[in-house]
Amino acid sequence: MAVEVKEPISDVETEQLATGCEAIAEAIRLADVDVMAAYPIRPYDGVMQAAAKLIANGKMDVEYIVADGEHSQFEIVKHACAAGSRVFVGSSGVGWFYAFEAIAVTAGLRLPVVAICGNRALDDPGAFGCEHNDALAVRDLGWLLCWAETAQESLDFALMAWRVGEDKRVSLPVAIGLDGAFLTHSQQIVKIPTQAAVTSFLPPFDLGDRLLHPDNPITIAPQVDQDWLMEIRRQSDNAMRQALTAITEAHADFKRLFGRGGDDPFLDEYMTDDAEIVFFGQGTLSLPMKVAIRRLRKQGHKVGLVRLKWFRPFPTEAIVKSLSRFKAVGVIDRDYSFGSPYYAGVLYHELRSALYSVQNRPTVVGFIAALGGREIEQPMAVEIFEKTMAAANGELASGDVCHWIGVRD
Amino acid sequence: MSDTVVTDPTSITIEVVYRGIFQKTLAQRICRSVVLAARKRGHTGTAFGRYGDSPERNGVPAKYFAVVAVNDLELEASMAKYEPSVVDIAVAVDDTLVKGVESWAWYGRQPIWKPVHQNGAVLVTSEKTADEVLAQTDAAERPYTLGIVPGLASFAGLWVYKDDHTDYRVLGALAKVVPQWVRIDDVKELIREQTKDEGAVASAQFGFDATVLRPIDVGEGTSGHEVLQFEKPGWTTMRPGVIVDARKPGERNPYYKKYGARTLRPVVNFDTCIKCTMCWLDCPDECFEVTPEGHYEVVYEACIGCGICAQVCPVKDCIVMVDELRFEDNDDKWQMWKSDHAGYNAWFEQKTGIPVDPNASAAAGGDGAVAGGEE
Amino acid sequence: MAVDTALPQIKGVKDVPYDELFVSGHRTCQGCESALVMRHMVKASGPRTIVLGSTGCMYVANTTYYTTPWVVPWMHTQLGSSGSAALGTAAGLKVLMRKGKIKNEKINVIAFCGDGGGADMGLGAISATLTHKEYDCLILLYDNESYANTDIQLSSQTPYGAVTTFSPSGTKKRLMHTRWKKNVPGMLAAGHPESRYIAAGCAAYAVDLMNKIRRALELGGPTFVHTLDPCPKGWDYHPAYSQELGHLAVETGIWPLYEVLDGVCSLTGPTRQIAEGRKKRKPVYEYLKRQGRFAHFADEDVEHFQSEVDKMWNEWLVPGVIPFTVRAKDQAILKIDTKPLHEQKTA
Repeated sequence: MAVEVKEPISDVETEQLATGCEAIAEAIRLADVDVMAAYPIRPYDGVMQAAAKLIANGKMDVEYIVADGEHSQFEIVKHACAAGSRVFVGSSGVGWFYAFEAIAVTAGLRLPVVAICGNRALDDPGAFGCEHNDALAVRDLGWLLCWAETAQESLDFALMAWRVGEDKRVSLPVAIGLDGAFLTHSQQIVKIPTQAAVTSFLPPFDLGDRLLHPDNPITIAPQVDQDWLMEIRRQSDNAMRQALTAITEAHADFKRLFGRGGDDPFLDEYMTDDAEIVFFGQGTLSLPMKVAIRRLRKQGHKVGLVRLKWFRPFPTEAIVKSLSRFKAVGVIDRDYSFGSPYYAGVLYHELRSALYSVQNRPTVVGFIAALGGREIEQPMAVEIFEKTMAAANGELASGDVCHWIGVRD
Repeated sequence: MSDTVVTDPTSITIEVVYRGIFQKTLAQRICRSVVLAARKRGHTGTAFGRYGDSPERNGVPAKYFAVVAVNDLELEASMAKYEPSVVDIAVAVDDTLVKGVESWAWYGRQPIWKPVHQNGAVLVTSEKTADEVLAQTDAAERPYTLGIVPGLASFAGLWVYKDDHTDYRVLGALAKVVPQWVRIDDVKELIREQTKDEGAVASAQFGFDATVLRPIDVGEGTSGHEVLQFEKPGWTTMRPGVIVDARKPGERNPYYKKYGARTLRPVVNFDTCIKCTMCWLDCPDECFEVTPEGHYEVVYEACIGCGICAQVCPVKDCIVMVDELRFEDNDDKWQMWKSDHAGYNAWFEQKTGIPVDPNASAAAGGDGAVAGGEE
Repeated sequence: MAVDTALPQIKGVKDVPYDELFVSGHRTCQGCESALVMRHMVKASGPRTIVLGSTGCMYVANTTYYTTPWVVPWMHTQLGSSGSAALGTAAGLKVLMRKGKIKNEKINVIAFCGDGGGADMGLGAISATLTHKEYDCLILLYDNESYANTDIQLSSQTPYGAVTTFSPSGTKKRLMHTRWKKNVPGMLAAGHPESRYIAAGCAAYAVDLMNKIRRALELGGPTFVHTLDPCPKGWDYHPAYSQELGHLAVETGIWPLYEVLDGVCSLTGPTRQIAEGRKKRKPVYEYLKRQGRFAHFADEDVEHFQSEVDKMWNEWLVPGVIPFTVRAKDQAILKIDTKPLHEQKTA
């Protein structure tokens, strides 16, 4: 439903105390999104509630469609996107899985839908807390996938998502991981950029000769068979490779225009200059780990943290360059991959595989932690440190590669 | 022995080319029986439909395969395949299939003998002579043996199978050309077991005895059929987003023409046409075009021969469905009616066997008319 | 480009638009009535149309890669997504026009689905779309009474007793399928008061069908048209008889033709003549005996089929539309007009 914009929007950078969801709602306004589809499930849907307020108060003009389920939600924006609209959608946990058919075909159609996944444990049993397995499920489908650490980064990643996803070299959907509760529901100070800056960063969405319109008569996605599908998959593979370049370029522009985003487009390093060992993870678990790092350094331990910002495309080159500087890496997974090669998490296996061909590769030890939204308390961080240190000193048995942290026996 | 087909000593591949749905059960029965008959002498084998044909469409050419081998090891080479690229024998269970096999867009129109190796065989169920069938078959690029298995094309539905013994006659014919793989005695024993019907057994023997074989030399056949072949683009040249251009207004599909699905074609008596538009209106394949006089002429390149036009036409015998093998081309016939009225009407009567003037008595010569459809 | 997008009612077969927007080379069966529905659908809607096609025969058979039969822009959508595809496309066009990002003009949005995609999997999304009155889109359900694309499996639109690959007739069970066909257009009309137009049609009555499609598009908002499409493959009859089977389905009263326009229901075509008593309803046997899918029927099966159809005509509040009636003594209280529909006042 549409609401005409009434009052002019003042165009000076402001500050807000906002949740990650509310920050993304501001990004939706600044990006002049055309269509969004909502369906309730916590914790993601704070963004839909915040966007609804902006529309009701005349702050933005978006077709806001309340769908009858996540499958419809994702199908609606997929088709609006094919008709030339900039779109936004999102979900959480089992809701994300209910939409999965639509999620798969959106990537197959190469439509740059932007979605947030407010990370939530999968049923059963029902639980609201944060686990990354919902968003990680898209990792093989042709979705770009990034994880935010702060409310500010949530807004920034959203703007990056439209810029990179809509890049003609890429033209793939983008998912933004927001840790449930810690990011979706807690408020932080967020800088809201000016419309002018956003407009110069984010060109209008243009599907070109792929637009579904009577003036551009085309047939999209006719039935294929084994004679065609490999070529189509190879095109998506190539688009994902191009995304590395597109992200790097977008990140440079973003830093120039907004003065944020860190040194590296893919990695965020903390106290790594002289570090012997580092922790490696995604999302908000970096925050308690940074606290631990400062304490451990007071005790003289050379420890740091490398936070992964983009999981797809997986920035292997940047990761190899960074991590081969250290003796050991402790990978903290807020997810699981039951029965996987080392009974460890998804991130652990991806990293281990990325480092396989590195000559002087660090020892990699895995940790399953903070599942179901459980907090990382300082004793857990210390346990992670001690295990990683032991690995660095070759004190762990070779098979002893994955450790559950803070689980009751 | 001169009649028999020389095959690889370790295995044989037979394909049955058939009309989708109408002959699905028939093709399946033939290929299964080939394997089971060969089994009686200790061979092993596999039978499978071409996956790309599924879901089948009424009339659209489809394929079923039987591969028989001396042991499981030799059979492996033929397992996990969609479609064997080379076969020893191709069986066409509808003689109009010899005009070419066009199964889908990028498949093009392929000669019936295309996968048959040198000195292999093409068996066709037909009431016509080998020469009549050959006259509609693409000119041979390799020598092969053409076999005519006597009988009309057997068409049935998906649920009600018409057991007219066509499969038994074809099995008998196969036993004649590849006795080293399929023995007539094994075939008869199998049919006896399956049907307990000596009539069915006799049909197999009839197929064995009555099938006429004619050696075909390179160049024999017609060069009059349209060439329809396409190069498949690669991932760097295909449009991203799985996109193809729409058809232009007024254009008909230049890639998938589909007239290869036709076993009967509508022939129009323009003299009795009342220009009611019903044939044009009810055609699911958009294959009628209005003439300056307001008649409706058939665009044979698009017609798939469903017969709806003949059924909905209110004028008796104004549109007549005629055996496709009685025609050499897809040319527009209304021009002929305009330029040579008498000539066209003579042609109409010769093709349909029906007088142009409804009040006249039956025309001589012609005998091609077929009812728009049978129950 | 200046194109007249007005869609006046078609007066007769001679008045049917000549231009083809769905052309040859679709990989459908000989005598495919659903392909004819596609052709009539875009003939009626004209060139300024976007078509969304959900999975089914009219996707898999119609549009195989490398080529396409569509002159108008066309896009695939998922089996259960015809409602969402129509909604998303209509919403996209609406906002882009409002924001001046594309030219403001009338573009028809039509999403089609088969009976599997529409009456089974996609019913929820269609229902949702029919409540979004701010978006102009038509959902067309082409009903060939089975999952005809995947191998003729049972759907909620498969008629009582019919053979499908999921309901074969065996030595122990003659009938595997004993559910009565779901009344989709009636249910949608009753449940979506803000949808301005919901209709049931059949390509055997081409002008009636094209006019229903035009009325739906002209009225605007989310609308729905359900067509019954004889399927030579799944119903097992010679392709030449597709039109005849369509006529029989209507003349036996099994498939009533009607429309509900702004809440006013009127029967159309032969259905109206039957209701008026000007045409005698043919026995269902005339229809059943023509199809291989009913070849296993015993007399009692035909009788049951006939009795259910009779009930629809003699007991339903509106034949084929409202599957219940009201106690005689309540008819006065509820001001139920018991006169034949054609004699009732219409808006």
